[in-house]
Amino acid sequence: MSTLTREGRATGDRRPRPQHEDQRRDRRRDDQVPDEGATPPGQGPDAGPLAEMGSPQRGRAVKDAVARVVMWGAFGVVMIPLVWILYTVVSRGVHLLLSSTWWTNNQRNINSGDVGGGARHAIEGTLMMAGITAVIAVPIGILTAVYLVEYGRGGLARAISFTVDILSGIPSIVAALFIYAVWVTTFGIERSGFAAALALVLLMIPVVVRSTESMLTLVPNELREAAYALGVPKWVTVVKVVLRTAFSGIVTGVLLGLARIMGETAPLLILAPYTKNFQRDLFSGNFPTLPMMINQDRGDIGLAAAAERMWGASLTLILLVLLLNLVGRIIARAGSVKT
Amino acid sequence: MSVSRTTVLGALALSGALLLSACASENNSPAPAAGGSGSSGSTGSTDCFSGNLKAEGSSAQKNAIDEAISVFQTKCADATIDYNPSGSGSGIKQFIAKQVDFAGSDSALKTVAVDGLVEADDAAKACGSPAWNLPMVTGPIAVAYNVAGVDKLVLDAEVTAKIFDGKVTTWNDPAIAKLNAGVKLPSTPIKVYFRSDDSGTTENFTKYLKAAAPDAWSYETGKKWTGKGEGKEKSAGVATAVKGQDGGITYVELSYAKQNTLKMAEIDTGSGPVELNAESVGKTVATAKPVGSGNDLALKIDYATKEAGAYPIILVTYEVVCSKYSDAAQGSKVRAFLTTFASDAVQGQLEELGYAPLPTEVATKVQTAVKAIS
Repeated sequence: MSTLTREGRATGDRRPRPQHEDQRRDRRRDDQVPDEGATPPGQGPDAGPLAEMGSPQRGRAVKDAVARVVMWGAFGVVMIPLVWILYTVVSRGVHLLLSSTWWTNNQRNINSGDVGGGARHAIEGTLMMAGITAVIAVPIGILTAVYLVEYGRGGLARAISFTVDILSGIPSIVAALFIYAVWVTTFGIERSGFAAALALVLLMIPVVVRSTESMLTLVPNELREAAYALGVPKWVTVVKVVLRTAFSGIVTGVLLGLARIMGETAPLLILAPYTKNFQRDLFSGNFPTLPMMINQDRGDIGLAAAAERMWGASLTLILLVLLLNLVGRIIARAGSVKT
Repeated sequence: MSVSRTTVLGALALSGALLLSACASENNSPAPAAGGSGSSGSTGSTDCFSGNLKAEGSSAQKNAIDEAISVFQTKCADATIDYNPSGSGSGIKQFIAKQVDFAGSDSALKTVAVDGLVEADDAAKACGSPAWNLPMVTGPIAVAYNVAGVDKLVLDAEVTAKIFDGKVTTWNDPAIAKLNAGVKLPSTPIKVYFRSDDSGTTENFTKYLKAAAPDAWSYETGKKWTGKGEGKEKSAGVATAVKGQDGGITYVELSYAKQNTLKMAEIDTGSGPVELNAESVGKTVATAKPVGSGNDLALKIDYATKEAGAYPIILVTYEVVCSKYSDAAQGSKVRAFLTTFASDAVQGQLEELGYAPLPTEVATKVQTAVKAIS
């Protein structure tokens, strides 16, 4: 997201305009105030020249102070739950992550009241599922965005854009039930990791389309025109100039999509029941994932061992998403165009 | 946002750790360290299979089947058995939809139509052969409560029904006080929690209320709760809710009440208050009559029993299986696992988990039926 603002400012073609409009509207509103109600002394148009010179500055200073307090206040309010969550999860879960078996073992033969075992099955499962989802959703998402920005005109483009909007509003449970209806009820195939991945694809595509689309529109038109002027075909321009320029932004968008789907639980509950064993087959059998591990152990929260495992798995999931973000940022930085 | 050098290093270190650990050994050591599964009662030769077996259903038998799975998987390193404790209703639905190999259920398949569907017929259609109900574990249902200062509470069927129907609303109601002479009851309001998911526990509890207090309990029996109160999901949900609420009361399997250290009411069946323990439960199980035919071993429990010292609120949890699987390999897997589950060695361990063992007569029949699965 930070990339968005940075590039937005760098190209600077859209953002300033709405701001001007806002200011104009504000000024108009200010003008109307004296006509409507009582005018505070020293602020109306009838006030003396001295007051007129001093008060707008003071007014601005007050506004500035108020805005600053509100901003920092809002920031603080947002930070409270974040810090609280992180503190709770880390303080309760961290010691399990430091145990020798957490990263290497599964939960086979570990009953809910027993300690021991690890979360490797769930970590592998979550990564595999995120991987397969990304492999399906990212090409579809990026190509859709390229069509919408570079090629699409008229009714079809509007229809696709509208569909993506609808898709992004679909609750995860509905996506899951849709896949269940197709996969299990209609075709009678067994529930599996792949079925859950399909539901996650539905959730990831709109995120990728929207973020890629906004990145592509930020690519300055001059670059495209320069490429055309050199006689470069349109598709080469798209691949080598437009996508290349927007690369880091697109990676960020993909990561946002991945972060969203990795913690998603509803499709897993319906389509991929949990197993305590390793499962490397995406197409048959139960499938272990971290959210399902958390959910399973939450069911036995009365047992100390299960509660610990739940916090451990939560922290692992948070770390996994964080790690993915870091790796993605490194890729994005390495691949971004040097200016 | 610029990536600082330290975060890059951190990321590399973490991914390195993950890669390194990939080389280490993966499965847990054969014998589970805890759980008290002594290897003394070896059942002789176990038919091991490689591959996986899926089951789903009752959360009431989760702890029992987990134990059986541990025992089986310890002997058979290539076998994987998953039990998804999503509730009896869900288990039977998934069994009929052929999503699982067998279902765990707290009540036998219905032979009469409910909402236009006959479970037993649908299951038989999915199997291509009649489906059997095999009683595997009996679990007492505790009436668990949390009232500050009250460590011993006696209830009878009628008062229990009134409490769960919202007719008795405070703990110092004369109806409760009459049964608990000498106990100082507070005026705390009664907060009833029930299972919001389709549950066999609900079904057995309402069957008890209907049988033992037909005047006070006017609702139908079933997996869906029809009385009053606040719904919580799964056994763990109601147990945790009661634990955190002064004045709370619920019905929950003994193992969950124990896990959450909840106090349990004694039940007065007409011949004095009965405490919930293995002996009092065993007395009721012994009165259960088989109602199925052949190897279908559905049991009928006499909830209205007035036998002295018999605790009347129990459930029998079944494994719902196909008598003949269309895939013979699948049938032999189910047979292999259930043989272990029904063996005396595993059944003997269940008592410490809060279950009651099957009466010998029933256990023998179950073992015979399991052998007949093909």
